[in-house]
Amino acid sequence: MIQFDVTRTLGNFRLAPKLQVGPGITVLFGQSGAGKTLTLEAIAGLLTPDRGRIAIHDRAVFDAATGLNVPPYDRRLGYVVQSYALFPHLTVAENVAYGVFDLPRAERDQRVDGLLRTLGIQDLAGRRPARISGGQAQRTALARALVRRPQALLLDEPFAALDEGVALTLRRELRRLVRDLDLPVLMVTHDLTEASHIGDCIAVMDAGQVLQVGDRPDVLQRPRTARVARLLGIANVLEGKTFRSENGVVVNTPIGQLQTAQSDITEGPVRIAIRADQIILTRPDRQSDDRPNTLDVVITDEADFGHSRALYARLAAATGSSAPTLEIQIAPHPYQVMGVATRRRWRVHIPPAAVHVMRT
Amino acid sequence: MLAPVAVLIARGVTRADIGAALTSPFVRGAVQLSLVTSAVAVLAIVALGTPTAYLLARRRFPGRALVDAVIDLPIVLPPVVGGLALLLLLGRQGPVGGPLAGAGIDVAFTTAAVVLAQMFVAAPFYIRAARAGFESVDQRLEAVSSTLGARPWRTFRRITVPLALPSLAGGAVMAWARALGEFGATIMFAGNVAGRTQTMPLAILEAMEADANAAIAIAVVLAGIALAVLIAFRGLARAGSRAL
Repeated sequence: MIQFDVTRTLGNFRLAPKLQVGPGITVLFGQSGAGKTLTLEAIAGLLTPDRGRIAIHDRAVFDAATGLNVPPYDRRLGYVVQSYALFPHLTVAENVAYGVFDLPRAERDQRVDGLLRTLGIQDLAGRRPARISGGQAQRTALARALVRRPQALLLDEPFAALDEGVALTLRRELRRLVRDLDLPVLMVTHDLTEASHIGDCIAVMDAGQVLQVGDRPDVLQRPRTARVARLLGIANVLEGKTFRSENGVVVNTPIGQLQTAQSDITEGPVRIAIRADQIILTRPDRQSDDRPNTLDVVITDEADFGHSRALYARLAAATGSSAPTLEIQIAPHPYQVMGVATRRRWRVHIPPAAVHVMRT
Repeated sequence: MLAPVAVLIARGVTRADIGAALTSPFVRGAVQLSLVTSAVAVLAIVALGTPTAYLLARRRFPGRALVDAVIDLPIVLPPVVGGLALLLLLGRQGPVGGPLAGAGIDVAFTTAAVVLAQMFVAAPFYIRAARAGFESVDQRLEAVSSTLGARPWRTFRRITVPLALPSLAGGAVMAWARALGEFGATIMFAGNVAGRTQTMPLAILEAMEADANAAIAIAVVLAGIALAVLIAFRGLARAGSRAL
């Protein structure tokens, strides 16, 4: 468990992250410049906060109130920095052995060999970092960070510099390794796809602060604010006003009245988020569609992302260029079968469970 | 630039009596003194200059800009002026030399003065190079080292110095070459006493009045060393770029 609640002012930037990292992988997600790397540096002891407290497994390593500031070499953390920073003058085995210089030789060799084997790089032991691939460098950096048996692991964009295929394999291995070692891991990424697929928890960071933290599906489905929704790539964020009706909670939005499945909502101004992949596209000629949240739309534009297509639609009844646009995500196969390209007028259905209401 | 050196070396290798001059006690004494004093000067420069260069490369402290400027001073200052300044400071009448003389320690016109004069003119070459070498070491490597349980001294020894080593060695070689060729500051501060303060460049001056062959013999040795230094320096620079 890593707990931290610190602040540090750097020029105009105010870093003020607050978070508890439990066992398993917690992804610290945010755009570049959000303060993710600075947060890791503060935990590792490389950046001294102005105020606050950092504890690792209930042992305080920084406490501004008492003046406690444990130096990095006594914090017992594994830290893999971005692009790895392997020691260029040492071999792969020497890089991994670097952290256990204080162990007896036999034990040191045994531990290094074990890690090289676990990470599948035992054949590279004698090579210099300049002569190994990006994926191998990543494994070496991970082995080096684990050799001291740290109490927690900090990873800064560990897969950013790798080819997608290699990254995929390594993500799977990391998950397995972390499960075996039972370590809390805090992993920084700016890649939304990565954040959506790895990790047990997500902490969304913006402008130096952690805006929301929680189980991965929960955060992805239920962002607390419009800012978090936008950072998480939720395409449709609309202003609205809630009121109660005989159908439950209804939101007045620029695209009409929408029912939501959420019930714990007070009346008043809100914002709503609708994920593009949760909007259902149907043919408009089907009669007697009495499902709620059904709208007739005109598709005005589209974009092909390879694994999916984005359709941009406005209400068929709307006029003028200021009419709000809905983004709808559709997989290539239904796109073909339904013949989306052949017609412009469609009907969309937004399940009430997909209408997520947030504070303004 | 090649012509004078070529003529010098041609004279040196074609005249048999110059080989004989090399073995004369006069020449051997100068060579020996030069090698010993320059070696001591370089060791002292490395011992004092390495921490200075590291602090300049890595730390911000009050007076840093001043230290930085003062270190370059001996490069632009005429060596004779440097020698005179050392004499004024450490001579018997000087603010430091006076009390030392009172304690029975004479610095000026001794072998120690030769070493000090060489250190004064040669130190900047080492400190410049060492500082550039330390600055070229990626600080993230030092940060990672500290997260791997290494205290600052271990990080310095295992990461910073090995990675800066080509620059440190190159700087030491350049400083040694500069110390070996030192003339102006030495003659002002240490004088020209055979066996005690007469280094090779000073011996050339004296020999020119008596035995031109001895002068040429010493000059050839100095030119040969200079050439070797140049080759070694380029080799170190290449090794440095190859290691990374």
